Amino acid sequence: MPRRRANLIAYLFLLPWIIGLVAFVGGPIIAILPLSFTSWNLLGSPRWIGLRNYVEMFSGRGDFWPIVFNTLKYAIAGVFVSVTWSLFIALLLNRRVPGAGLAASLCFAPAVVPYIAMAFALQLLLRADLGVINYWLKCVGIQHPPDWLMDPDVVLWTLAAVTIYTYYTGQMMLIFDAALKQVPKELYEVASLDGASSLTIFRHITLPMISPILLFNVVIGFLNTLNMSFTIIYPLTAGGPGKASTVLSVDIYNNAFKGFRIGYACAEAVILFVLCALSTLFIFWLSKRRVYYEA
Amino acid sequence: MKRLVILAACVLASFGVFGEQIVIKYAHWNALPEDPFNYVKAFETLYPQYKIDFTLIAEAEYPATLRQMAATDTLPDVLCLWEHDIVEFAKAGYVIPLDKYLSQSKFLNIDDFIPATKELMEMQGGLYGLPWCYATHVLYYNKDLFDKKGIPYPNENWTWDDFVKAARALTDPAAGIYGCDAIVFHGIWWDLIGTFGDPIIDEQGRFAIGGGAEKLLTELYQLTQEGVIAKPATLAMGAAAVDLFAAGKAAMKFDGSWMTTQYKDITAFAWDIAPTPTVDGRRYVHLHTGFFAINAKSKVKDAAWKFIEFCLSHFGQTLIVRGETIFSSRASLASHGEGIYGIKGPTNWAAVPVQVENGHWGYLLFPSTVWMDAVNDFYAVMLGNLSPATAVCRAIDRAKDILGADKVAPYAPCP
Repeated sequence: MPRRRANLIAYLFLLPWIIGLVAFVGGPIIAILPLSFTSWNLLGSPRWIGLRNYVEMFSGRGDFWPIVFNTLKYAIAGVFVSVTWSLFIALLLNRRVPGAGLAASLCFAPAVVPYIAMAFALQLLLRADLGVINYWLKCVGIQHPPDWLMDPDVVLWTLAAVTIYTYYTGQMMLIFDAALKQVPKELYEVASLDGASSLTIFRHITLPMISPILLFNVVIGFLNTLNMSFTIIYPLTAGGPGKASTVLSVDIYNNAFKGFRIGYACAEAVILFVLCALSTLFIFWLSKRRVYYEA
Repeated sequence: MKRLVILAACVLASFGVFGEQIVIKYAHWNALPEDPFNYVKAFETLYPQYKIDFTLIAEAEYPATLRQMAATDTLPDVLCLWEHDIVEFAKAGYVIPLDKYLSQSKFLNIDDFIPATKELMEMQGGLYGLPWCYATHVLYYNKDLFDKKGIPYPNENWTWDDFVKAARALTDPAAGIYGCDAIVFHGIWWDLIGTFGDPIIDEQGRFAIGGGAEKLLTELYQLTQEGVIAKPATLAMGAAAVDLFAAGKAAMKFDGSWMTTQYKDITAFAWDIAPTPTVDGRRYVHLHTGFFAINAKSKVKDAAWKFIEFCLSHFGQTLIVRGETIFSSRASLASHGEGIYGIKGPTNWAAVPVQVENGHWGYLLFPSTVWMDAVNDFYAVMLGNLSPATAVCRAIDRAKDILGADKVAPYAPCP
């Protein structure tokens, strides 16, 4: 078949997906930028107001800066927790410890539970006065355990810890598991013969060999945490208490669909996009010296 | 003979027997009640020339979906708009005034509707919607706990001091019982802020809170610290995972009248409802409703009015009230949730007209971002993370950002 014709047929097969992407993803994303310069409540037409939304945001009104810091804190802590946890479970799986498979399945199971159901279950577990976790803590002698979801100093870290139950943490575990299986066994044998400890082996062999996958998971984890934070935080705390756990995605939702401030919400979405892009660039820059690619 | 049949068919057609049905599009956040309370079916049976094309829109997305429909010109003929939305939709010209239709109605009269309807009409300079029913807030109380302590039940003469005294007496830390559950529903905050003296919406239509809110927050914080009122727990999208009142662990609770449909199955203790307490003789209560309105671009406006008129008729209201478990918006029909007499409560439905007499739309006329964020701060006050004064000033600042400084009444202590 002539090459040109083959290409055309391939594009025709891709066309439905391309149309969907442009119509339902690309188009709305592109529309966000001009809308961010308007004031619109979905009734009537958008009204051009120039940079007023951005001025309002950057001037500190509407709690913008605390929300941005919450977003970054949550993203960094969430990625750290989810990457560490998924790597730990993947390492256990690879060591063929008895029961590791069952443990991994149990760890992965919450990842397929709908977030809403998980949120209600977690509320019961984490409740300060009636929750199971605080009950256990009191049994071991901690008489004043924290209010996990209503203490503004603790709530963000609690939400970051909860990311171990998310779908993408389960995905990371599977990806790490596959990467660990690719590490040549001879390297471990040589290191053992030379008397290297487990920690040394992990630091100097395992981590460098899986560093490209680690980079991939950190980037994806960061983007997922930034973008998917709404699905965990909103059902669990709705951004409270006060605005202690309000991140950009929650504020965008509140402004767009509760307050009908479409222009302002679009401006926040632009900022979230910029944050995602800058974070990714920063991670790639940081990884230049740390990631080992086999020749 | 043949000519006679053709003539008869023409006559019948002119009466619409063989005519096309007029389709009226109608959207609502509640599913239609089961028979025999399905008011849409009843309307279609009574008026076979009309057909209702019903769309159920999820309650959580109701205002957003209606606005999307407005933006895409797909609004139904009959809308049921929430309090803030009727204001915005009327301002944007999406709904028509109903004054002419109402004046021509043989049985509907503006004075027969709950007083808050006229209040809104005066604010808007026209009648753009009629309330389909209403719900309100009440004080729930555990009769068994009151009997155990020998405390008289709450009544319409209760003041805030009576409430506090009873709550303190009913608190039993050893048994894990609170005098009152934490405020769960956001509307209760605004009821109490109004009761404590703030207008919430002043005569110029401005958002107006200040000294009343600060005093309320200070009092509630003190009671929470004493353990008389339960500490607020996390609220997932407005719902608390644990209901201390239903669990018999809180002697009282402020909540919406709709909670009677959940509490009616309580068997562990007897309970009832009462009007909310007063402060210096003042009682401020919010009403919740949806306003029947007609889409300005509807091609079947007269038919749409026919449906609305039916829903607000005696028959229609009886079906709606019994099917939806709410209260009629027509004072002359005053049915108070008949049929919701649960196993151990409630019985004191006389509490509801007391609430309605003091009923306002209040905070509901403002966008939810104005009052929702304020409520989040109020919870932070209860937990000791924010001072009452700061929470009030933040609420005022936020309102200024969203509504504009000219739409917010000043409060001297806030810069």
